[in-house]
Amino acid sequence: MTGRPAGRPLVPAYLSTGGVARPSRPQLERLSVLTRGDAPVPAGLPAAALALLDVLAGGALALVEAAALLRLPVSAVRVLAADLADRDLVLARAPIPPADRFEPDLLKRVADGLRALKH
Amino acid sequence: MTALPDLAAGGLALGTLSAFALGGGLLRLRRRDARRRAEIAALRTQLDGSVRAFTSEVEHLAARRVPAAARQVTHPHLDVPGPLQPLTAGTPLGRALDDVLVAVQGEVAAQRTRVDAAAQAGMRGATREIQAALYRLQDALRQLQQRYDDPELAQTLFALDHENEQSLRRAQVAAVVCGAWVGLAREESHLVDAVTGGQARLAGYHRVAVHNHLEPGTALVSHAVEPVAIIVAELLDNALRHSAPDTDVVVSLEHVHHGVCVTIDDAGLGMTEDERRRAQRLVAGDDPILLTDLGDPPRMGLAAIGRLTRQFDLRVDVSSASPYGGVRAVLRVDSHLLSHLDPDEKPPAASAPRTTRRPAPARPPAPASAQATAAAPATAPAPAPAPAHGYGAERTESEAAGHQAPAAEDGLPRRRRRTAAAAPRPAPAADRPARRPEEAAAALGALQAGTAAARSAAPHTGGQHDDGTTDGGRTDGGTTDGNGRGAGPTRPAAPAAPAGHEHRTDRSAPHEPTDHEGGAAR
Repeated sequence: MTGRPAGRPLVPAYLSTGGVARPSRPQLERLSVLTRGDAPVPAGLPAAALALLDVLAGGALALVEAAALLRLPVSAVRVLAADLADRDLVLARAPIPPADRFEPDLLKRVADGLRALKH
Repeated sequence: MTALPDLAAGGLALGTLSAFALGGGLLRLRRRDARRRAEIAALRTQLDGSVRAFTSEVEHLAARRVPAAARQVTHPHLDVPGPLQPLTAGTPLGRALDDVLVAVQGEVAAQRTRVDAAAQAGMRGATREIQAALYRLQDALRQLQQRYDDPELAQTLFALDHENEQSLRRAQVAAVVCGAWVGLAREESHLVDAVTGGQARLAGYHRVAVHNHLEPGTALVSHAVEPVAIIVAELLDNALRHSAPDTDVVVSLEHVHHGVCVTIDDAGLGMTEDERRRAQRLVAGDDPILLTDLGDPPRMGLAAIGRLTRQFDLRVDVSSASPYGGVRAVLRVDSHLLSHLDPDEKPPAASAPRTTRRPAPARPPAPASAQATAAAPATAPAPAPAPAHGYGAERTESEAAGHQAPAAEDGLPRRRRRTAAAAPRPAPAADRPARRPEEAAAALGALQAGTAAARSAAPHTGGQHDDGTTDGGRTDGGTTDGNGRGAGPTRPAAPAAPAGHEHRTDRSAPHEPTDHEGGAAR
């Protein structure tokens, strides 16, 4: 929720999906990466689906990021994304694995090596 | 001698005479007496008659006329029966009896208002508590929705949230009818949000189709937001309830000369002339509302609308028929209750239907690619850097530092977005291998030169030189490996000008970072 904490959202989240919270495909995760597909946008899409497509028009986003931008819960965006993926309007990829953290030991050894190179 | 008999005769005659006279008088007296007695008897029967008439008139007053008069206070169409003897109408008695009725009616009306006010106060207190409790429940439910995304749990939470909205609506409407405040302070909001919010409070919200023909950014001033949402919800509730479950209720939002109209059409039964008149009277809000007028169970929707229209200077009209056959309800929001919100800065809710109007700057598809390729020069044609939509994040013109573009609105750092889909673009991939060997050579050369310079400089200065690190930083940027992870630590040491340069190169070749991340994904 990016709104001001005092503001109570006027439009509840269930309206975005028509009350559905079970996505049509189970494999979407919080960090799945969504990109805009090539299929043309058909008429009569629900407003929230159009909003999701708009958000993705600027580039790829993780599902949870799209949810934050749309100010919707992840569960609702997952339903929207699954519907759009079924229509090829959105491509979903598995989450990007988190980058390995550099081991401090290794960094230290590299730094030592560079320093040794200098002298 | 002769005198004696004469005397006697004379005396007798006198006696007889006087006896006659006396007898006559007596007779007369008796006759008068009889006449009087008859008169008295007649008067007495007359008196008895009028007493009986008066009694029966008062009995009639008590038994029939007073109750009828009291009932007429609540049901003005009832007749009060006249006096038992039609002749008493207009007489002082008749007028006095009518005065009794007027006094009774006045007192009954006053008592009724008093009792109703007490009932309203009681109900107001109760509903206010309930409303506050339901808002707390709503907060809890929405926090849960944000926190848990398990589909089954989310489904239950959605259902609960919807139930809660409906209960909230009832409590709120009851409170409003009883003269309470709407119970919630909202901030300035898009009008379409208020309408959609009202729609969400109903059981049959699936059947509502909202057509938004408003200028983007048409908003309501803060104190009008909740009233408009309530009014729309109640009008929609009427429309949904009085139309077949397989028909849609059509809502359209349009600009009119004096403001904005929300038109709600249903394809239901419609109303009879009487119902329509009653509804129009209620929504106009001119008469004071009494709970006892609203029926049992009380039908509060229209009464609540009446309260709100009077309080907030809104106009509702339900007097016309819909072209679909049902009722057309029109809510007019005048200009002084309207304001404007920048849809880019504060977009309407994602579920709110978007406007059918196209604003002057081009909308979605075009700017997406424009941003990706020509980010820096794109600021000139679009003074307010019209992003593809209102969702903020990509302010391309001012991202100063790598991953943390300073967010304009809320001061929080925003991750910079990977620019548009890289996969369908083969061109960069083609010229990349051609460039790579010489870049590699340049990078290695630079490294060698750097270390050589450092070595040669070491004896003279006795420490490392700043130029060396700057040079290294720039080559690092040139090879576009800088996704901030490896190059992060060296960056702060670099002066400002090279840093800006580095970012511009980074942006002018937008495919590299995405390619990198795509590689990581695979």
